[in-house]
Order: sequence, then C-alpha cells, then structure tokens
Amino acid sequence: MNRRNALGLIGGSIGAAALPWGTTAAWAQAQTLRAGVTGFTVINTLDPAKASLIPENYIMYGIFNALLKFNDKMEVVGDLAESFQAIDATTLEFKLRRGVKFQDGSDFTADDVKFSIERVADEKTASPNRSKVAPISEIKIIDPFTVRIVTKAPYGPLINYLTNTRTGTQIISRKALEAMGPEAFARRPVGTGRYMVKEWKPNEGVELVGFPGAFEGAPKIMSVNCPFIAEESSGMTAILGNQIDLTSTAPFADVPSLEKRSDVKVLKQPGLNTRYIALNNKRAPFDDVHFRRAVSMAFDRDLLVKAVIFGEGVVTPGVLPPAHWAEGKPVASDFLKFNPEKARAEMALGKYKAGQEGVVLIWGSNWWRRIGEIFVGQVNQVLGTKLTLQAMDFNAAFARAKAGDYDAMVMGWLGLVDPDEYIGEMLGSKGFRNIHHYSSAKMDAILDRGRAEVDRAKRFAVYREAEMLAIEEMPVLSCFTSNVHNLTRPNLKGFTQMAYSNFADQFGTITLS
Amino acid sequence: MRELISLLARVAQGAGAILLLALLGAAAVFFAMRAGHGDPALAVLGDMATPETIAAFRLKWQLNDPLLVQFWRWLSGALIGDFGASMVVATGEPIVKLVGSRLPNTLFVGAYALALALVISLIAGTISALRHGKLIDSASTSLAVLGISMPDFWLSYALIYALALGLGIFPSYGFTTPSLSLAGALYSGFLPALAIAAPMAAAFTRILRTALLETLFRDHVRVARSLGHSENFIFLHHVFRNALIPYVTVIGLQVRYLLGGTVVVERIFGVNGVGSLMVDAAFARDYPLVQACALVFLACVLLVNFAVDLICTRLDPRRA
Repeated sequence: MNRRNALGLIGGSIGAAALPWGTTAAWAQAQTLRAGVTGFTVINTLDPAKASLIPENYIMYGIFNALLKFNDKMEVVGDLAESFQAIDATTLEFKLRRGVKFQDGSDFTADDVKFSIERVADEKTASPNRSKVAPISEIKIIDPFTVRIVTKAPYGPLINYLTNTRTGTQIISRKALEAMGPEAFARRPVGTGRYMVKEWKPNEGVELVGFPGAFEGAPKIMSVNCPFIAEESSGMTAILGNQIDLTSTAPFADVPSLEKRSDVKVLKQPGLNTRYIALNNKRAPFDDVHFRRAVSMAFDRDLLVKAVIFGEGVVTPGVLPPAHWAEGKPVASDFLKFNPEKARAEMALGKYKAGQEGVVLIWGSNWWRRIGEIFVGQVNQVLGTKLTLQAMDFNAAFARAKAGDYDAMVMGWLGLVDPDEYIGEMLGSKGFRNIHHYSSAKMDAILDRGRAEVDRAKRFAVYREAEMLAIEEMPVLSCFTSNVHNLTRPNLKGFTQMAYSNFADQFGTITLS
Repeated sequence: MRELISLLARVAQGAGAILLLALLGAAAVFFAMRAGHGDPALAVLGDMATPETIAAFRLKWQLNDPLLVQFWRWLSGALIGDFGASMVVATGEPIVKLVGSRLPNTLFVGAYALALALVISLIAGTISALRHGKLIDSASTSLAVLGISMPDFWLSYALIYALALGLGIFPSYGFTTPSLSLAGALYSGFLPALAIAAPMAAAFTRILRTALLETLFRDHVRVARSLGHSENFIFLHHVFRNALIPYVTVIGLQVRYLLGGTVVVERIFGVNGVGSLMVDAAFARDYPLVQACALVFLACVLLVNFAVDLICTRLDPRRA
C-alpha cells in the first residue's frame, strides 16, 4: 500500500464514522435521501398561505397536497380531489378523496378545503397569493366530500391556481392549525403529503421524515436531509463528491461537461420561467416606443442564449415561456430580430438619439449579470447610446424598480403556471409584477377577457393577442427561457422533473440502488 | 506583584477599549446597512410581495420608527446581551441562539486555519532562513508568493478538485460540528482551514524568514558565536526570540484574512458558521443579524490583537 492509499483509507474511515453527509456506506443502512437545496439558504415559513420564496415551495410540495396538480404532461388532474367539473360558468364542483388522513392523524374533509382556501383569501392572513383567490365569492360544502367553489364572475385561471405549485392553495389541517397557532404551524406544518418536517435548522437545512399513512402510500425512503447549499457550484462539487444524491439546480456553465460524466445524471427540460430586460415605461429614455423597439433590434437574443446560459435555453418572442400551453409558434416580428440598420432607423423616428444615457441595473450570480453586460455592450455599439450598468443585489434593485426609480433592469420570474401570472401581472396596469409602470387600456381589455374566459383554447387565442400587442409596444424586452436542471447520482431513480421547478413532491417515489 | 497589577491594568484598559471600539463598529455597521438600498420585507416576501404584506412586515419589525430610535432600541438591548430576533434569515429565531450555535464552527475553523498557518510558516520560514539562497529557500519563497496571490475562493475550488474529487481523500462538501465529533471536525474542516490558512501562512513565512535573516547577522549573534555557544542555542535564544516580535505582530495584523476567508470559504464548503450567516443576513437585509455577526467578528479581531499586544510585551519588555 502506498502512502496515498493509506491516507485515503484513514481519511475515509474517519469520514464514515463522523461525517453527517458522510460516505454512502454509513448511510446505506439508514437509507437517507440527501437532497440539496442549491442556490438558496433562506426559508421563512412552511405555511402555504404565507410562503413566497422558491425554496419554501420546494419543501412544501412534499408536505402538502392541493385539490389539483399537474401531471408530467402539464395537464391539470385531481390530487385531493378525485374529480372536478364545471356546474356553470362560475361554479366548479370537486369530489374529494375519501379516507385521506392528515399527518396529525385527523381526517381530511371538505371543511379543511374551505378553511385552507378562505384563509388565503382572508386579508388578515396577508397572503402573497391572495389575489389568486380573491375572485372567489363562496366555498360551499355540499357534503363532507363534495365542495363547490363559486366565483363572482367567470374566472379562467382558477383551475391552475388550485394546483400544488406556487399558489398557496395547498390544503392544511384545520384542526392542527387551530391547535398550534399559525406561528408554530409555519415551523411544523401538517398536511396530507408523504413527508413531515422532523427538524428545521434555520439557514442550514430541513430534515424530513416519511408519513406512513399518506394516501399516496408511504415513501420508499423515510428519511430525507435537505441541506441549503449557498453556491450552485458547491452543490455540484457536493454531488460529484457523493455528499448528496440530488440537487435542485445546476450551474449552466457546467451542464455541458456534467452531461459527459458517468458519475452524475443531468435532468433538464425547458422551464416555466422568463428572463427579460424590464424597462421603466414612465421615464426617459424608455418612455419612447421607438427607442424601446430600436433597443430590441439592437441586441442579439441568440447570442445571449449561447453566451449567458451556454445554450441551456431558448429565445422567447414574448414573456410566456415555450413550455407553457399558452405560448404559440415563434412570432416573426422584425422588432425581435437583431438588425443594426433597422434599429438605427427606428431610433431616428423617436425622441432619443445616439449619446442617450441610461442605467441598467444588474444583480445576482454571474449569468444574470452577463445578460446585462452583453445587452448594454451590444446596444451601445449598434445605437451609439451611452447605457451603463449598475450592480447591486436583487432586493435593492427590485425595490427601486417597484418604486419606479430606475431606467432598466435585468429581470426574471420562475415557476408561474397561469398565463395571467405572466402577461396579466407583468403588463396589466394593476398587475403586481408590473414594475415596468406600463399602462395600456387596450392591453387591460385583452387581459380582462383572458381572465374571464374558462375555455383553454379560447384563452390561448386571447393571450396570443396580448403577446402580439406586447411585441408592438415593447414594454419589456423579452430575452429567453432557461432550462430547469436537477443533478442526481447515477443510482437515484424515481424523480420526475417538472417544468415549474418541483422538488420534494417527488421524494416519495425515489429509490437509491 | 507590581507586574501583576500592571498586567491587570492593561487588561482592564484593553477590555474598555475593545468594548468602545466594538460599539463604534456596530454603530458604523448599523448606519451603513440602513444607508444602502433594499428592504428586508422584500427578502422575506420575495417577488410575490404586495404593498399590504410589505406594510404588515414593516409594522411588525418596527421599521417605520426613526433611525435613531431603532438604533437606541438595538443598542440598549445589545448592552444587556439581548440582540433581538432574526427578521429574515431565520424569522423569529433569537439571534443569541442562532449565532451561538454557529460560533463554535467558525472559531474552530478559524483556529484550525491559524494553527495550520503557524505550523507551515514556522517550518518553512525557519528552513528558508537557515538555507537562504539554496534551492529549498527559493522554492519556499516562490510558494509564499503564490499563496499570497491566490484568491481564497479559487484556492478552495482548486483544493476540492485536487484533494476531494481527484484523490478522494477529503469530503468535497459539508462540515461536522466539533461538538458532534472532534475527529470529524478535524477531517472535514481540513480543506476549508487550509484554504483560509494559505495566504496567512505565506505572509507569516515571509516575515519570519526576513526577521530571522536580519537577526542572524546582527552583532550580538556574532558575539555569542565567538563565545563558543552551540548553533542550536544561539538560534533559539538569540535569533528566534528576537525574530518572533515582528512575526507575532504580523499575526495580529493578518487576522483580518481569517475573517474575509471564513466568509467566502464557509459558503463554498458548507460550513455553517457565523461568516456564511453574515453573508446571507447582509443579502437579506436582516439588520439585527448582520449587526450581531459584525459585532462578533469585531470582538474576535480586537481580542486577537489585544492578545498579540500582550505577547509582544512579554517578548520585548521595552514595549511595556
């Protein structure tokens, strides 16, 4: 035995004896799934009505079920509801599953459904998802396993807002919440999902334990450790070094090389997200539609996909991602194509000329900043403008954008499931994602129609119209959609990735061979 | 007796100075944090924040009060050891508990790094000086230049790729807290400690080599040699002891590397320490938590510097 082997052996044996994320040998008997939440370190609550951050949802997906969920084709199917149907234009009836138990042992009934959704709608709860359920006028309990949800007017997005995604409408145990109080419930939530919180160490991670009585069946691996891993690249080295079995994301730059390796598997698909340049439509220079169009033609979106995310995504003509049902075929508009001559000609029509100044706010990790760097470089070269970059952290930039104190900003949204969350909230004059201060009566009228339409094919046509208007008026510069990624060890089976960035909802079916 | 009294006086004086400086530093951090952009409410509520939820958050954490009122509330709490609760990173969690549970990890990795830096520099610096101009001296000074020039985040990944993913000797991620297992902490903490230690070791080696070389050719060493003392005796009593003074002083100055190092390295290796907590708190605008972490780091720097001062006095009584 040479010295290197000896050292490795000594190191390995100490590690096996001592490390919490230690070697496979030590964990094999216990069968713990080590699922790293990468790129995030903060969760504040596991109460669906209160949660808003992506990592909170990652964990909650496994603790709760909603009335509905998406299947792997992104179709809405029953979850806690066995079936559902429209009684009339404003009433949906849900037949609930029987014999479902909450993790505290209590029975799941229609009363929990009414309580959970009304709690999100209640102003006192201050739920970030309140607007999603605000159009509901009444939740009627017909019998313990039949519920009717009535809206004030026909409300198209409702079906999507009742799924187990970033909606807040996951069903909680009324009994548990009332017994524990909301503060304690947020830390030790009680749902019907396959996992319960065993321990939550703030800023470090969450340990989950399987719920044997889950209606979907007891999980195959009962113990799950979810450490928060601040850096995505650390998540990658952790999985390569066999310290974890699964990650929630992967660094774009490393995906091509990771795909060539045999000791790690890369799961990927086009995600439900949108990455774009937010513009302040109320302030110079982006208050001029000609200038906005000119800038749109002055940068190359294909180049962004190649240089920023290493080909891990696709160019989007509008704000809706191609993975979404409401997105149609690519739009052949000149305003979206890189064309220096046309860009300069378009600028000449407007009130701003070469030499025009403006500040683009950038934030976040490298690839987010690179969007802004390439954008500003190209636009300045093509139009002779003097746009500059200002780097800050996301919260600071977002706060300025909300207050209207900015020119432009690199921006993105992730995990939204209804087109109204994208176009409606981003471009509707009252939309809460409308940091662009864009206000168009025409757009608002289209969006109102989309919201009032319940037929999916008809909604598709309406949002198409909205997208075309957005391309004409260019209130934002859509750039691309990136792929969602998970890294797994080669021996991990049973994780189905979803476009909206799912996580703990899949733990129950995972096996480690 | 007189010596003891003067030592106690120095300690009391030092403690007073440390307290005063720490409070001044905390005030600086307090106002610097508030002067920056950003809103803790947005960090908690994320992209789904609505004006109502933001208003409720600000009311709950009394963020609408005048800045001086907020500062006084914080200061009067801090003076009696009550740092309040974390607003964002671990909502509602008492900060004393949060920082307290993480401090051992940071202190352990910091002390480990310092120990590694001392061992490396004592060996390398001494060999370099005694064999100056030889190949081993060139090698060690070149390494020292490399150590000073390498950014810690780069070195961290280089160490992970070489020693964890390449040779598989050390874990690539994760740290065992020393209270769970000391062996585990020494093993899993080796790479982070080495990454933090490298620039310090390099700086220490250079200063020790220079100091030793300077002393080696001083008159009192020549005299000692002419008196027939053995080389070992001369080195230990006349050379090394004199060279220790600049060496120890530099240790005090370089402790800041420990801090910068821990902040970055803790994140890369997943050490749940005060450094990574402070970074998260700063990004999240968790004001009371940043202030508490900064205070802890300030206290550490001041304490180490104070200890270095005391040691230097012992080594060189003229400085008393």
